[in-house]
Amino acid sequence: MLTCDDYITPASLDEAFDAMAAHRSHYRIVAGATDTLPWAREGRAGDVHIPVLIDVTKIHELLHISVGDKRVRLGAATPIQRFLDDTNLARSLPAMPRCAVWFADDQIRAQATIGGNIVNASPAADATPCLIAHEAEVELAKKSGGKITRRRMKLDQFVTGPNRTELEEGELLVGVECDALPGCGGSFEKVGHRRSLVISLVCLATLVKLDGKGRYIEDVRLSIAGIGPKPLRLNEIENFLRRGPVSAERFNQAADMPVSLVASRTRQEYRREVVRGFVLRGLINAARAAGAKPDTLTPELEAAYA
Amino acid sequence: MPDLQFQATINGRKISRSAKPHQRLLDFIRDDLNLTGNKEGCGAGECGTCSVFVDGTLMKSCLLPVAKAQGTTIETVEALAKTGELSVLQKAFHKTGASQCGYCIPGMVMAATAALRTNPFADREEIKERLGGNICRCTGYQKIFDAVELARDVQNGTLPASALMEDEAESGDFIGKNVRRIDTPSKVSGRLKYAADMTMPGMLHVQVLRSPYAHARIVSIDTSAAEAIEGVAGIITSADVPGEDGFGVFVNDQPVMAQDKVRYVGEAVAAVAAEDLLIAKRALSSINVIYAPLPSVFDPEEALCPGAPVLHDYAPDNVTKHIPIRVGDTEKGFAESDLVIEETYSTQPIEHAYLEPEAGLTYVDHDGVVTIVSPDQNITHHRHMLARIIAKPISKVRFIMSPVGGGFGGKEDMIYQGMLALLAMKTQRPVRLVFTREDSIISTAKRHPSRTVLRMGLMRDGRIRALRMKMICDGGAYGLSTEGVMRKAAILAAGPYVIPNVRVDTFGIYTNNTPSGAFRSFGALQTAFATESHLDICAERLGLDPFQIRRINAMRDGALTHTKAKLGSVSLMRALDALEKASGWETGAPTSRGEIRGDLDRPDIRPPCALGARFAAAEKREAAE
Repeated sequence: MLTCDDYITPASLDEAFDAMAAHRSHYRIVAGATDTLPWAREGRAGDVHIPVLIDVTKIHELLHISVGDKRVRLGAATPIQRFLDDTNLARSLPAMPRCAVWFADDQIRAQATIGGNIVNASPAADATPCLIAHEAEVELAKKSGGKITRRRMKLDQFVTGPNRTELEEGELLVGVECDALPGCGGSFEKVGHRRSLVISLVCLATLVKLDGKGRYIEDVRLSIAGIGPKPLRLNEIENFLRRGPVSAERFNQAADMPVSLVASRTRQEYRREVVRGFVLRGLINAARAAGAKPDTLTPELEAAYA
Repeated sequence: MPDLQFQATINGRKISRSAKPHQRLLDFIRDDLNLTGNKEGCGAGECGTCSVFVDGTLMKSCLLPVAKAQGTTIETVEALAKTGELSVLQKAFHKTGASQCGYCIPGMVMAATAALRTNPFADREEIKERLGGNICRCTGYQKIFDAVELARDVQNGTLPASALMEDEAESGDFIGKNVRRIDTPSKVSGRLKYAADMTMPGMLHVQVLRSPYAHARIVSIDTSAAEAIEGVAGIITSADVPGEDGFGVFVNDQPVMAQDKVRYVGEAVAAVAAEDLLIAKRALSSINVIYAPLPSVFDPEEALCPGAPVLHDYAPDNVTKHIPIRVGDTEKGFAESDLVIEETYSTQPIEHAYLEPEAGLTYVDHDGVVTIVSPDQNITHHRHMLARIIAKPISKVRFIMSPVGGGFGGKEDMIYQGMLALLAMKTQRPVRLVFTREDSIISTAKRHPSRTVLRMGLMRDGRIRALRMKMICDGGAYGLSTEGVMRKAAILAAGPYVIPNVRVDTFGIYTNNTPSGAFRSFGALQTAFATESHLDICAERLGLDPFQIRRINAMRDGALTHTKAKLGSVSLMRALDALEKASGWETGAPTSRGEIRGDLDRPDIRPPCALGARFAAAEKREAAE
């Protein structure tokens, strides 16, 4: 059971930093709180008393979203459900709706935030691989000497391992900026123990951009989580496929490539097998969503992995 | 630190009240506003019994700090039938029989309401997806989905409102008709009070101290520091039992709280009643128990070995119960057989996971009657046992069965009612204990894990000549229903088949694992799993169709079972015919099929789960526009 003496809901970054300074080392930041409350239960952290909880989800800046031609900026408190409800956002981040629909359930998605998912840094986090495929950068802010200073960092460098990030004491994740990729086909593959409310054993985000004829790959991005301590971009596969034709043979060759990356603590054999099928299925689904010509993907391939 | 001044509009009414900063919205709604329609099933966002609307968005109120709902408009399940008239969805749940134990139903009705508000035309796949955050253990979901589809069609005018009414009897015959359950309106509206929904003036809150050891001697228990805490009203240990301690179903081997030693992790050692939950929790952490760990045993076969740790003095061999059945001469039967196959089968422990965690409210009434209100599946037996434990005449003990929010056998054991009685007697105040999901999983019985060696001898034509089965079950630390489970497992071990030579031995064994107990089928699952799996293997070896091998051996009307029960009529052949037809079974031995089975992918066979039904619906809408 989680107990606290005070629950503070700042309306601005200044107020948040003031509360953090006033309660230095006696506070914990909460966003959606969907991880914090289950964590403070028997069998995990047990009964936990945190003197002050500071809730960042009412800070205006953290709720702001802007969608540009090149980049999308998401406030850190953006609820995951927005990726399903906001068609404008979905168009620029084509794998995110598929990711979101596998994320917990409708109710938790309305509360859980993108920033929380990143900072929590679970090796199985669903949103992080999607964002990494979009070349995401995190924006971090802190207040010192009465001034708010900011820095930026690539998301894949920010997450350093299970539940570990480069976030410093007194610093807040305020936003995420990533590539806008309208016109790409997106897919999200996930395997877990059931359909809703399930933590990924393995998940894979795939984005594919094709030429106007739907036969050549102009850009391809794959990012995978659950197979090691942190999410990974599959650069070798991307380089192999980029500026090449869409074909079943090449997708099959690509699927054989990432096997050496599997480095999770448990069930390596199983994950290795899953990854092969996932890469193939991710590529097919993303290519199809990008408008690949049907004859480029043989029926056999589709039947086996679609 | 100050309390929050919490302001919101709840079910159409403005409220402004102080709230504790750590409270969850669920606590505030249930405890402070006494709106108990929405339940707590897990406290971790998994089950959805607590789902409420916050500014029109469905959320899990167990995951929501109350401060997050500051200034919002909240609808609980009570809002849906505010005037007493059920909503269309609630009526549809009533019509289709979507509510059984009812504990998940308030949350389920809310999720269904949210699904149809979001997409009034959602198809069944999309409904499934949108209800994905809510768990039901009784219905298997199909009737719930039926209800949502019915409500959708009535709301959209494609079905008349009369479709929500009960089916009429045809010349007095209700068979095959949807007869509405009379308890459903109270469940779909959230009006029904389960034990955790009940309160009494002056009620104390109970918490239980549990053993962290699987097997340990209790050297001492010091409750003095806990007793001294302001707000603590009473603490009990085994020493407070005035009568003859010990409960069970077949053997009374389990004390109300651990006596001289603990036998499994999670066993109750002491209990506290206090003015509120936090004080009770604080008191628990102030009780000082000194344990001397003992060697433990976690595998039933190891528990049978000489020199294994002994759990109960009365059973030095750790055998809770052995049930033998002997018919004919199995050795002779195997010798006569054309084919003898032996295999080993195992099943795992299973938690019942009823949506309602255990809860009980207990008080001593004006006549001195100790009254226990709890979702208890065996109140008469428990009443007799408790009278002996608390040394009172039977007329001074009363059990009231509150609505059982799912039991499946898991609420047949008196594992907490004894503590409540002792605390109510000690404090002379009403006391209430509400289990968390974790309490429920750690301390209550599981389905018996089993290991079965099965040897079967058959003739080439498929007739079974002999069956020998030895099943060893892990009964855990206490007897509970083990004897009965072993008995039924043995009785049904050879299945509904004519077998001239049968030798069955089922063993329930004590170990330091969580006790095993009653669970749907009560032992039949474990032996049937072995026997039926074995028949499939035998069919394959003999080149027979699995249905055929069962028909060849099926008991017919007038058969004598292996335990000498005469069966007037046996419906097995009809059941096999119906099953074969309904499953679209592709006739033939298991070896006769090619790579692809012809009986799959039919329209009436459910495909594996997938997500994304809402995308398909959206694409269809866009195409239509």
